[in-house]
This record gives sequence, structure tokens and C-alpha cells, in this order.
Amino acid sequence: MKKILIKCLLLVVLFQIEVVAEEKNYHKELITDWSRIFPDKNRNAAGPKFFKYIIDKENTYKDFIEYNKLFCAVSGSLIDPDSDSEFLFVKESKSNSKICGNYYRCCVPCSCDVMKYSEVQKMKYKFTDGLKEFYVITIKNPCNKTDFPNRVNKNYFCNGKKINSNQVYNLDNRIVIGLLHNGRLCKKDDINLVKSHQITGQYCELRNNTPLEKLDAGMGDIFIKLAR
Amino acid sequence: MEKKMETELGKSKILLQKMLIKKVNYLKKILITSFLILPINNSSAEFFRDLSNIIEFNETRLSYGVSVTDINMDGNFEFIVTGFGYPNLALTYIDGKLKNIAQDEIFIDQFRKTIGVAACDIDKDGYEEIYFLNTDTYSGTKKYSDRLIDKKDDYYFDLFEIEKNKESLNLTAGRSVVCVDRKGTGEYGIYVANYGGPTRFYEFENFKIIDKAGYLNLRNVTGGRAVVSGHILTDRADIFAANERGANFLLKNNNGNFEDVAFDYRVDDVIQNGRGTALSDIYYRGRLDILSGNWLGYHRAYVLENNKFKDIGNKDFDKPSKIRTIISADFDNDGFDEVFMNNIAEPNKLFKITEKGKFEEIKLKTALETEGFGTGAAVADIDNDGILELLVSRGESKAQSLTLYKANVEKQSKFLRIKPINKFGAPARGATVTLISNKRKHSKTIDAGSGYLCQMEPVAHYGIRKNEKNFKVEVKWTNGKIDFIDKIKLNQTITINQK
Repeated sequence: MKKILIKCLLLVVLFQIEVVAEEKNYHKELITDWSRIFPDKNRNAAGPKFFKYIIDKENTYKDFIEYNKLFCAVSGSLIDPDSDSEFLFVKESKSNSKICGNYYRCCVPCSCDVMKYSEVQKMKYKFTDGLKEFYVITIKNPCNKTDFPNRVNKNYFCNGKKINSNQVYNLDNRIVIGLLHNGRLCKKDDINLVKSHQITGQYCELRNNTPLEKLDAGMGDIFIKLAR
Repeated sequence: MEKKMETELGKSKILLQKMLIKKVNYLKKILITSFLILPINNSSAEFFRDLSNIIEFNETRLSYGVSVTDINMDGNFEFIVTGFGYPNLALTYIDGKLKNIAQDEIFIDQFRKTIGVAACDIDKDGYEEIYFLNTDTYSGTKKYSDRLIDKKDDYYFDLFEIEKNKESLNLTAGRSVVCVDRKGTGEYGIYVANYGGPTRFYEFENFKIIDKAGYLNLRNVTGGRAVVSGHILTDRADIFAANERGANFLLKNNNGNFEDVAFDYRVDDVIQNGRGTALSDIYYRGRLDILSGNWLGYHRAYVLENNKFKDIGNKDFDKPSKIRTIISADFDNDGFDEVFMNNIAEPNKLFKITEKGKFEEIKLKTALETEGFGTGAAVADIDNDGILELLVSRGESKAQSLTLYKANVEKQSKFLRIKPINKFGAPARGATVTLISNKRKHSKTIDAGSGYLCQMEPVAHYGIRKNEKNFKVEVKWTNGKIDFIDKIKLNQTITINQK
């Protein structure tokens, strides 16, 4: 009986602590700091700026995961809290294997663009609560491009022909644009699921076979020009 | 054998009883502990009572901004209520009723669409001119200009209708207006938060209305929404403008000129849409901080720490809503300010700011206005009983009547009201009053314009806390100079005149 009562009391205390402690509002923080992340107010294809801002913060791994659910790596848009993710696969740079995971996007074309024009890489990082390994979405160094999209702020990405590591995260000379959540090697069923899905299957096939000049949904051709 | 059994049974009974007593004791302890740990809930008694029935001829209409000024110079304030295609009203308290005393055509101005209003003495005659901001379009160029109402004898006239002032007409859609004594001389200017066109800053110079926005580095184009002025950063009148589709402005007064420091002070909030704003001493530390309500965005409670504003609004306070006016005032005279959030087509909200700047929600029933289309609100002690009245105007997409509320206060509650008057005999809007006692150092602005489209009474109203004593009042005038009031008796309005 005594044990039960102590447990009850503990529950009450824990409940109260939860009530008293303010939950971290990741979305509000990104909104507050938006003008610091994008000083020139241009967030076109600037997911890498978000990623760099987040990884530079003093985060726990949980913080890192939660922040990375709130922006679209392709468009640079903020995403509403509690938005759903897309289950998709992206090619891993080193192995060419398909890595499956969840991608948080602002609109469906971005899922297609990330599948076609980006790759994933394993990254290790030490957070305040320890070293973790995860899959990040990357694009190749765009700084040599002659057709660098003029609606993207090149200074965010490049320092001459090199990646600007002060502004974006450079992983093996590729730019990290975001996090692939719950990344893992795809199983056969996963691939079937992605390919048969209305968005990642049918819609993406249509989008990814549309000539660049005819793309008007999502970021249009901005991200593609940057990442291809 | 039977006896033995009885004895055994008796023992079991006693044991059972002991166990029950123990159990009850444990439960008692749990209950007491839980009670101690549980957050102190606000009184279950209803916070407001509805006094709307005292408003005479309270018809449904489209109302917007509300200001509080003394239009007939009888020593009592009137609520000035704007009408959007409806008459502008001047509601005064007579014989237990709120009666409209506006009669002049130019004041009533039924056919213009007035939304913003603020009053202040721009010509140093002690009478507060009234700026009515008219808007007949959402953004950009509008058809009908604003009015700046003055009074001579018993005759009201529009300063903008005088030929020499016509070149300065504001023909841009706008929202809020605020009075700014930028030089600290008692010569008020009027900041007009325009929408889709340049900001205006009017001053009365050589008997002429002049737009000085360009000269003062204020001629910005934005989606102007709400604006406040007071001692935010300096000892002069600074300005905070909450904007839509663009960064907020925090205009630091530098010898009468302005510099936008919103980014440096972290109040630019560039991707949110400002709506209602007010100055409030959130920490009760003797300085004015900023409340900023964002339309369907996070509401902010900005407190200055190490030359940056930090948002300390908790998750109840910052929850996005369709906010319009935001008011900080002590409605229930308990010595702690409440924050009233007037939402449109959504329930209103009320918070109490407790000792450490914590926002505790007070659940409303009266004044909730779930289906109310709130467009503006203002506070004043309109009946001079030491308790604030809250007038809520409504309209926009549905014609609705005005509503009036007053808090249910404890019988033994006390108050103190400080009314600073500047050297020209006008309310010293933009001055800061600080009540210093054994319990707090609590600053309040003499409202120059706040909320959304609105302006509060030019009085610092304080409820008195339990066991509070050793009162002293500091008045910082718009020129930064300070006067003190020492011998203070409670339950009165003290008028202090600038020397």
C-alpha cells in the first residue's frame, strides 16, 4: 500500500513538474531567428542555411531532430509543426544503395526533387547528450556552375568556387541541405511502398520526366538548377 | 474455542481499522501534498461583469478604434469610438449611463470609414486634437483623407480642411496612429501607420500641418498595423511599430530623430504579421517592455535583457489567435496587471502577469465573446469609481453593438491613479509613471496610442497589493526629467503638473 501511495505521489509531482517546465517551442525559435538565418530575406533553396543554423546551436539529439522537421531542405520554407512527412528513398553517395527514411517537405514536388537530385551521406556529430550517427541529405558543390540560379543567393553557398563553410555545412565537399529522418537501408517492401505511393510513385514519375522549362510547381526549376 | 475465535476476529478488526486509519492518513498526506504542489488556480469567481446595458442607444454597427480623451474639457473622459460608415461616437458617463454627446457633423463624419484614432495636443493649447484615420481601401491609395479634429469655443473643425494643410493630406490606406512628443517639448506629432504607402509623421509648425516623415527617416513603406510610443529605450519618446508583411520597426529616439533598431534588439519578427501592441512593465521592475500580438502567429512578451529583447511569453500566452487589440491594465485592482487579448471571431483571452513575469490565464465567461467580431478596445475609469471599465468595439464583417465590462473587485481593494499634465495643460501622453513601494517598482505609460487602432486613458491606474506600503511615485516626463510624489493617500486620482 505504502509503495502504491508513494508511486501516486511521484506521479503527481512529475505531472506538476511537466506543467511547470516550459516545453521548447522549436517552431517559434526558427520564426524568431528567421531574419538572422536569412539576413537578405532570400530563402530560395536555402535549406542548407537552416541546417547550418541548427547544427551550430547547442542541441541535444532530440532538439536536432525536432528542428529538422520544421523546414523544407529543398525550398527553404518553414513547415508547420506537426506536419506529416513523406516516406521515400534517396541514393547513398558512397554505396549507391537506396536509403529509406522520412522527409519533411513544404509541398509534394520537393519530395520528388530530393529523390532525384540529392544524395544521402552518413554523418556523425557530437550533441550535448552524446555522439550520434544519422543520414543527411546532400547536394554536390554548385559553386562551379555557369548556370547558378540567379534567384538563389550564391554567397550563402559559395566562397568563390569553394563551398562557404561559414554559411552552410560542408560534408566531404558536398552541401548538407537537411536530415533524412529515420534513415536506414531500404528493404524490398520499402521500395515497393515508395514506388506505388501516389506521390513518391506516380506523381514523382510525372514530375521527374517533365522538361525543366515546364516545371512550375514547388520551387520550379530553382533547386534543380542548383542541385543537378 | 468460540472465545478464541472472537478474540482473533477482534484482533483482525483492530488490524483492519489500523490499516484503514493508516490508509486515510496516507491519503490525507497525498491530498495535502498535492494541494500544495498544484498551481494556485485563479479565483473561480467570474472576473468581469457585463455593463453593456448602460450604453444608451447601443445599436449594431461597424466600429473600430477607440480612444479616451476629454473632448468637452469638463474634466471627465469620453470614449471616442470610430465608425466605419457609421457615426463616430463620443461616449460620456452621465447619470449611470454612457451617452453619446457627439453632435457636430465633422466629428460624426458618418460617410467616411474611420478605423484608427488617437488624441493629443499638437498645437500646445492644452486641448487634445483628435486624429481620425479613414480607410476606404485595404492598401495603397485611398479616396478620402484623414481628419484632424480641433475645437474652438464649441465649434469642431478639421485642420486638414484648411487650405494650407491640404498639401499634406494622407491619401494612403492606414491603420493605427500614435502621438509622439519626439522633442520632449510637449509639441506632439502624429505617427500614422500606413499600409502599402509611406508612413506619415505630422507636426504642427507655424500654424501649418507638415508631414515630417521624410525628414525624420520614417518614410518607410510597409503594412503598418499597430504602433506605440513611450520610454522604451531612451528617456525620450521611442516608437514600436508592429507591421504586417515586413519587419517591425523599433525607432530609437536620438535627439528627436529616429533610428530603426528592431533587428539589433530582436523585435523585427519579420515573418509574422503584427496586429496589436502595448507597453507593459512585465517584470514589475520599473521599465516598460513590449507586448506584441501577431495575427495567427506567436504573441510576444518582449523584455529587455542585455540590450536585446527576449520573448518570455509562455505557451498559453503565445498561442496563435486572430488577435486585434492587446491591453495591459490592472482591471481587478489587485496590484498585478492583466493582459486582455481581443480576438476577432474567436474567444477573447485574459492573463494575469504574476510576480516573475509569468502569464497565468484567467478563464473568462463574461467578455469571452466567442462570436464577437472584436475590432478595438480601450480602458478608462469612465465613472470615476477607481475601477477600470473596458469598452470593446466590434464590427468588420458583421455589425455588432459595443460591449462594456468591469472587473469584480474585492470590497477592500484600493487604488491609486496618477494623471500627469504637461506644461501646456494637456495629458502628458508618452510620459512614464512608476509606483515604488515595499512590493514593487511598477512602471506604466501614459498611453499615446496602443492596442490595435486604439488609445487608452492618459492615466496610470494602479490597484494596490495586499500589505503594500511606503508608496512613492516617480513621473518621467517626455523630456526625460523626473518628478516625485511622496505623500500619497490611496483611493484617489493625483494630478501632477509639469513645471
